[in-house]
Amino acid sequence: MEADVAVIGSGPAGLTAAIHAHRAGAKNILLIEREEELGGILKQCIHNGFGLEQFKQDYTGPEYAERLITELEKTDVQIHLNTLVTDISSERVITAVSPEHGVLEIRAKSIVLAMGCRERARGSIGIPGTRPAGIFTAGVAQRFVNIDGYLPGKDVVILGSGDIGLIMARRLTLEGAKVKGVYEIMDYPGGLKRNIVQCLNDFDIPLHLSHTVTEIRGKERVEGVVVSKVDDKLHPIKGSEQSIKCDTLLLSVGLIPENELSKKAGVKLSTATTGPVTTETMGSSVSGIFSCGNVSTVFDLVDYVAQTGVTAGANAAEYALGGLRNGGKSVEVVPGENVRLLFPQRYSFKDDLILFIRAAEPIEKPVIIEVSPPEFKIKRPYARPNEMLRVKVPKGKLTDVAKSIKVSIRES
Amino acid sequence: MAREKRHFVCVICPIGCEVDVIHDGSRIISMEGNKCKKSEEFVRQELIEPMRILTTTLRIQGARWPVIPVRTDKSVPKRLFPDIMKKLRRIDLQSPVGMLDVVVKDIAGTGANIIATRTMTHE
Repeated sequence: MEADVAVIGSGPAGLTAAIHAHRAGAKNILLIEREEELGGILKQCIHNGFGLEQFKQDYTGPEYAERLITELEKTDVQIHLNTLVTDISSERVITAVSPEHGVLEIRAKSIVLAMGCRERARGSIGIPGTRPAGIFTAGVAQRFVNIDGYLPGKDVVILGSGDIGLIMARRLTLEGAKVKGVYEIMDYPGGLKRNIVQCLNDFDIPLHLSHTVTEIRGKERVEGVVVSKVDDKLHPIKGSEQSIKCDTLLLSVGLIPENELSKKAGVKLSTATTGPVTTETMGSSVSGIFSCGNVSTVFDLVDYVAQTGVTAGANAAEYALGGLRNGGKSVEVVPGENVRLLFPQRYSFKDDLILFIRAAEPIEKPVIIEVSPPEFKIKRPYARPNEMLRVKVPKGKLTDVAKSIKVSIRES
Repeated sequence: MAREKRHFVCVICPIGCEVDVIHDGSRIISMEGNKCKKSEEFVRQELIEPMRILTTTLRIQGARWPVIPVRTDKSVPKRLFPDIMKKLRRIDLQSPVGMLDVVVKDIAGTGANIIATRTMTHE
């Protein structure tokens, strides 16, 4: 099978990329999805707050997905559901399997990686104790409740204050479970402030910062957990242990970009974001392979995900049509003072540079974001690690840049 | 009523403005921290009656999935959430249901309808 543009994954990034590849003039576009429906994780995110920026509408996840799907269905993009990509070569040959077609081989002129991310689980944070039933990642619990119609437990403790954990605290409370508390190891919350307010405060669910779960109890089913306070090195403080009865522990302890396929394709990954190293075109280190959304780096908002999808889709189309070539001049974009995460990692002088920046330490007063060269400065009212900053540096200001571009956040 | 100072975090958009307001029970004397008009309206409403969109799921028969996501078509008083959830637990829908279809009218006397937030056809 041949394709001009093949998009892998049909969440917000992949749907947007496919639509924009079509708009940019690509003809033979394939959208490959491993599940039985389009939409990715949006389908289980039944809460509102999606698309405020992009569509100026307060959509729920399924509404946002259906709007994109309706748009996609007006195009001639070919959709392959129940199709799992098992391999991508650096020559852009995709191997996939599906019950309908068996093994498929697709030769694509360009590829957009939009596989999203997965949740960190118990194994990656190493909680001691027994291994009973009743321990779920927040996203798995969300799927059980919102799609499969099961309540995963009645007395719930949540470890980690990521957005999905906060959303699930509210959701489980509405469905009649008792959420006993959210415990966060850091001294600031992981999720957006508005979610602390509307998911925890609205329902009198306590948030305990600088706390973690140090033991899980129970044989067949979770019977309780032990939580401890942590010191400034995040080590549990002896004597601060507190035992809490519960039948369920939800983990909301971070997301990891899912890049097994990217690795197979030989795409260079960033050690900071763990996603592909890309330029402002979303082009990776492998010619003709682009990436967007949470496979690149974990974004806070679907609007940001979609924005990278627009860019990746349009540039993948341009590449397939012969108008864009990777490997030209590009410079590195490097994190400076108080920057923990920076995306994209390179600039190739084609478009405006839209930077997504995560601060290392919170600064609760006005800050200046400095992009140097070209000594471009922009003010923001604050910088918080849990709220990504987005800065647009116009192309015109960057033409004379010869070496790397450094991005810093300073108190103003 | 004597003057009272209150602090709100606006939940209208992801910016989450932190707003300090001084009021005397009948009128707002000062407000600061809000970046837009919507945030001002939000705080005004919080002082009277906190209102939220409720999102949840309803059981559905004859569809691909056993539940379908729904929401109120406008904000409803937050204090009525438990009551609304109790009433919705008794409801069982039949597929097909289209996105934005009204599936329950005037829930719990709020004047708000419950609408589906996705299309769900037969299995």
